[in-house]
Amino acid sequence: MTTEIQTEPTEVQTTRGGVYVIDRSRPRLRAGQGLLTGLDVVFRHFRDALTRKLEKPSQQTGVFTVQYPEERLKLPEAFRNFPILLYDDETGHELCTSCFQCQRICPPQVIHMTQARDPSTGKPVPAVAEFLIEYDACMSCGLCAEVCPFDAIKMDHEFEYSTDVHGGLTINKEALNRPISYYEKIAPSFWAEVKDSAMKKLQGNMKRRPDLIGVAPQMVEKIRAKRAESAAAQAPAPASATPDAAPADKAARLAAARARAAEKTAAEASAEPVSESTPADKAARLAAIRAANAAKKTDEGATEAPAPTGGAPTDKAARLAAIRAANAAKKSAEGADAASAPPAAEAPAPTTGDAPTDKAARLAAIRAANAAKKAAAQNDGSEE
Amino acid sequence: MTDILRSWIGGALPDWVIVLIAYLLVTTIVLFYAVGNFIMMVWAERRVVARMQDRLGPNRVGPAGLLQPIADAVKMFTKEDIVPRSADQWVHLLAPIVSLAPVAMMLAVIPWGRGWEPIDLNVALLYIVAVSAVSGVGLMMAGWGSNNKFALLGAMRAVAQLVSYEIPAVTALLTVVILAGGMSLLELPYMQAGVPLMGATILCGDAAGCSPSLYTTVTSFPGSPGEPVQALDLGLGWWVFTPVGLLGFIVFFIAALAEGERTPFDIPEADSEIVAGYMTEYSGMKFATFYIAQYILNFALSALAATAFLGGWQGPGVAALANMGGPWVHVAAALSAFYLLAKIWVLFFVMIWLRGAFPRLRVDQLMDFAWKLLLPLALVNIVSASLMVGLTQWTSAQWGGLLSLDGFAPWQRQLIAILVTAIINIAAAYWILSINQRPTQEEWIEEELVVAS
Repeated sequence: MTTEIQTEPTEVQTTRGGVYVIDRSRPRLRAGQGLLTGLDVVFRHFRDALTRKLEKPSQQTGVFTVQYPEERLKLPEAFRNFPILLYDDETGHELCTSCFQCQRICPPQVIHMTQARDPSTGKPVPAVAEFLIEYDACMSCGLCAEVCPFDAIKMDHEFEYSTDVHGGLTINKEALNRPISYYEKIAPSFWAEVKDSAMKKLQGNMKRRPDLIGVAPQMVEKIRAKRAESAAAQAPAPASATPDAAPADKAARLAAARARAAEKTAAEASAEPVSESTPADKAARLAAIRAANAAKKTDEGATEAPAPTGGAPTDKAARLAAIRAANAAKKSAEGADAASAPPAAEAPAPTTGDAPTDKAARLAAIRAANAAKKAAAQNDGSEE
Repeated sequence: MTDILRSWIGGALPDWVIVLIAYLLVTTIVLFYAVGNFIMMVWAERRVVARMQDRLGPNRVGPAGLLQPIADAVKMFTKEDIVPRSADQWVHLLAPIVSLAPVAMMLAVIPWGRGWEPIDLNVALLYIVAVSAVSGVGLMMAGWGSNNKFALLGAMRAVAQLVSYEIPAVTALLTVVILAGGMSLLELPYMQAGVPLMGATILCGDAAGCSPSLYTTVTSFPGSPGEPVQALDLGLGWWVFTPVGLLGFIVFFIAALAEGERTPFDIPEADSEIVAGYMTEYSGMKFATFYIAQYILNFALSALAATAFLGGWQGPGVAALANMGGPWVHVAAALSAFYLLAKIWVLFFVMIWLRGAFPRLRVDQLMDFAWKLLLPLALVNIVSASLMVGLTQWTSAQWGGLLSLDGFAPWQRQLIAILVTAIINIAAAYWILSINQRPTQEEWIEEELVVAS
């Protein structure tokens, strides 16, 4: 059926004006030829659908069905469903610093978070305490992931979230957390683009996070164990850390001194009318916390710079700080009411030297806090 | 069946009870056979059409989705039966029954295997044509009783279609009647023994008798009117291999598609135009009854087309096995039943294939096709069939001295007849097709390219 194709258009005058006619030279179909061609096409589809799958878009025949639960199409990297939070595999630290950018930009306003605070100082820390996303109202726009300056929030590929639990799609931080390795797996090139800056920012933020704040909830146990392990591993190793012990000691002393000062002011305050007793109480508590914190710091100093010689002084310093704190509390109590001394007197009894520094320090801190509290309580009672 | 029962429980029961039981048994078997095929057809249609559209089709319920029809049936049974308030209650109720019953009755006369025919009726073809026309009444009742404009439109279309396509169908069947010299369906497969094109005309030249595995004693058309002769028999002397049979088969099959309301002739239930036609107001089991009726009608028409033109249960090996005698006769019967079933399914596959390939016709195209193409072809085919019979069987006395072919051997006469009918049929087909095509081109030239003077 090879015919010469005449591409030259010829102008033909019709009743409605001139028209150009292009002779496409379609071969004349015989009767039934079109029908048979149609049957042939359909039969080729039938035959190929029995034998092969449609793999390339250029392929015209073959089964294109993807039997979904068993077979899945590979999702493109940019596929986005719901946001997730990333944490570092190694340190367990979350990338999120609770800067509230995502909460602010979220069009359906389904992102909620609270910033973490340092329990000792009450100051905000660049980490997130709780993070909630209402997946059921999320519109998968991906603005949160785009706006996040720390690359902490990313869009997930997982989409099978149907549930019969009402409210089961309000997801908390623990359920939102995914390791970076997971995101790297689903979107390798996207993560490669931002990896360096994100990790650098994370390193900076980690320095400002005390203790385990900012560690993903599911990683806390692991990280704690890891730290203990590394501490145990590094303990016997000799190091030139002796000078470090002295600052720690100093810090502890300073804390104790502050605590004492605070107690004094508290005692003075409590001598005044009833209405003033609450601030005094507060001040006492604060002092205790600070004391405990100082003790903790010395503890950290000990783990960071563990030296066989340094261990003892820090321990001592911590105990000393605790005792001083307790004494301060006692004094303040005495100052308020002389009859209320005995309970506080029990407080400063130090534990035996065998106990680990950490424990000892904490215990001391707790006792100091108790003493302070009791003192405050007796203070109240005496006022009445 | 009656004889078997008589031999088993001969004296225990009166004879009429035995006959009654025998008929009930046979009816049950045939209906189960048909319904079993219906179930498989629904499954096969969905699977095959899916593959044609590059899909997989139902594959979840049971292995390869084989239990899907059962799931469908459970759904149908448990659906609410809704009757419109303004419907004619009784007509609405009776319509599915009236449309299913004649279809089921058609199954009674079809020979399902060698010696496996429920009833031997000597006017079987007439019976089938008459009974299948009754189902049109059921469709009209459904459309009228529903009191719904779509249902009524669908019923009107259905009846118009059935009536107009019955004529080419019956005319095409008339060629079979002429070739067979009778209306019995039972004899048709026996007559289509032999080899392709030549039929049972290549006779045994050996006076001592030929091998019974290749040669069969034939008593009727086309080789030997009258006395029995031994002819070469491969079970492939189907009429579809002759020009007359081929044209008749094509015309009948297309008409059967229209009668069975298969795509491209599914105008009565064109769901994009008139919801579901006469079935619009039906739900649950009544709808399922229409559905069953339609598929069993397709099944029966396929069986009829296979019996009339494709040799029925005739196939290679059947005659040879039957000639061996003894228990082999039953093996031959089973093989023959398998052949018929295979032919029915091949025809059904073609129906699905057409459904996958072609769009629905318009009503005017439907009528044009029946009256301007199929009917003339069928009429020409009747002439050819008559010539075929005359050239192969008539003596010179029967020709009235006009033509004397007495000196020729049967295979020579068959060859002459095939040549003559082939020329007539091919010429007629070309001519009818060309006169059907001509006006469209002229109109196009006149309307579109009027040169302004």
